[in-house]
Amino acid sequence: MIELRDVRFEYTRGGFSLRVPDLEISPGTRAAAIGPSGSGKTTLLNLISGIERPEAGQIETAGMRVDKLSQAARRSFRITNIGFVFQDFLLLDYLDVLQNILYPYRLHHDLRLDDAAHARAQRLAADLGIDRLLKRRPDELSQGERQRVAIARALVTAPTLVLADEPTGNLDPATKQHALDLLFEQCNALSMTLLMVTHDHGLLDRFDQVVDVSAFEGSPP
Amino acid sequence: MKDSLYLAWRYLRHHRAKTLLLVLSLSVFLGLPLVMRAMSAVIQQSLMARAESTPLLLGKKGSSLDLVVEALYFQAKGIEALTAADADEVDDTGLAQAIPMRTGLLAQQFPVVGTSLDYFGFRGLQTANGRTLATLGECVIGADVAATLGLKPGDAILTSPSSLFDLAGVYPLRLQVVGTLHPSYGPDDRAVFVDVKTAWVAEGLGHGHQDLATASGDVLLKRKDGTATANAKLVQYNKITDENADNFHFHGDPASYPLSSVIVVPNDDKAGVLLRGRFVNDPARQMLRPAQVVEGLNAQIFRFERVLQIIVWTVGLATALMFVLVMVLSWRLRADELRTMTRLGCSRWKAVQIMGAEVSLMVGTSVALAAFLGFVMAHYGETWLQNLVLRGS
Repeated sequence: MIELRDVRFEYTRGGFSLRVPDLEISPGTRAAAIGPSGSGKTTLLNLISGIERPEAGQIETAGMRVDKLSQAARRSFRITNIGFVFQDFLLLDYLDVLQNILYPYRLHHDLRLDDAAHARAQRLAADLGIDRLLKRRPDELSQGERQRVAIARALVTAPTLVLADEPTGNLDPATKQHALDLLFEQCNALSMTLLMVTHDHGLLDRFDQVVDVSAFEGSPP
Repeated sequence: MKDSLYLAWRYLRHHRAKTLLLVLSLSVFLGLPLVMRAMSAVIQQSLMARAESTPLLLGKKGSSLDLVVEALYFQAKGIEALTAADADEVDDTGLAQAIPMRTGLLAQQFPVVGTSLDYFGFRGLQTANGRTLATLGECVIGADVAATLGLKPGDAILTSPSSLFDLAGVYPLRLQVVGTLHPSYGPDDRAVFVDVKTAWVAEGLGHGHQDLATASGDVLLKRKDGTATANAKLVQYNKITDENADNFHFHGDPASYPLSSVIVVPNDDKAGVLLRGRFVNDPARQMLRPAQVVEGLNAQIFRFERVLQIIVWTVGLATALMFVLVMVLSWRLRADELRTMTRLGCSRWKAVQIMGAEVSLMVGTSVALAAFLGFVMAHYGETWLQNLVLRGS
């Protein structure tokens, strides 16, 4: 599913670089990326998803050499193959919950917003327990509810890979476990690979694989 | 494009106060030149229409514009007066009809116009209620005067004293309303028409008082050789009625009584040319074509309008820059949203489309609003302006 070989990356403005000699995550794996702040966890997700392009090395994600794709192709690849969950959810306050879940369909012509997409959004909302909130706006929801909306948005396009950047960082312990349960449940049900950045070492025993980014050769800012 | 429009619409609807403010600002910027142009055109047309319907005007030498403004629009400009003899002189030529005009007095803030019955025929003014002027002390009022003061035939209106604190001055004269005119959407709607002799009475040039021949002794100071001198007890009339009408009289030669101007209606073009020729070298009087004067005024208005247009476009440019600034700042504030779009995989073109859709929706709505404003002004502006703007002219 994910393969990185001799990857070297440096921000153009300098100050930070990351070197990943070898990383492999198999399909269907639930992997956690850990490491201190500034070690390059988010950069790793950006390289895997094609948001950033390496200076050297190979990156294969979901069977595609993303390091060889053009920017437009990487965007297209990303929206059709990868689901994102962000720490601060990044929901849009001017859309209701249903439209937030369906948001990716409105961003790229490769995705078609049809009845099937609507049905999938409704089903996901029901599975995540937010089906009664579909007409509400994000600012009317609790943190836990907003996180579930963000998870539904990441999964609605049925991606093969879900990248989650500290998705439970803003949640209380009880909500955190519940959100994780829901994420794992959905990834299992849909046979998705999950790579999740976390600082919470207490959660690591729930993952199949742990990637310690601090073990890679990097220079913090 | 459908998705971009949808997202743009939802965003604008969510931030409706900001959207409304921007749309209204743009609408005003786009609509103002249209409205100004329409207003200017209506004012110029209205001024010109009245001027063109008045072939010639006779007045004392001085500002031709003041003469036209006072004679046609009844705005008191303090022009020097002709005499009734001047009107007779024009009449005597047999080349034209002379319509005397005496203006300058007010009745409850509306101009009193002393003229002859010919004026009504000349302007095509018809009574909506009541009848036209018949005797001294009567008045016919314009449609606006009737509506504003709630007057109808049978009511009365008082002339305003020229000097409130001058005890020896002219006292208000009570005018009997005998008719109201149909609206003509011009200065005639806001005038109180009286016979020119009534105007002279209102000015104090003619007056009425208790008959000295039958007056009691305590009113008379002396009676000698057929003349009588009265004291202050003599009753002065401030209202002309059937009973006291015979007691109103004028002292001196009526031919020397003042007229503000004389509307001259030549029998034909040749008569007009001949008449103008007679007055061209007159040292004290001028005969002019009002249309020529108003053309000059319109040229001034056009120049003023050009200056206004430059100001409007400058303000408009500032509005447009402010609009751009607000949009740029708005997108900067939405950096998180843009980043999310990029990370999810939104194409660059799609992001531009969404931003463009927001701008297009706002500009489109503003253009539609401005066009609607222009349409309303083009179709209904004339009546509205005539009612509103030209009332004072």
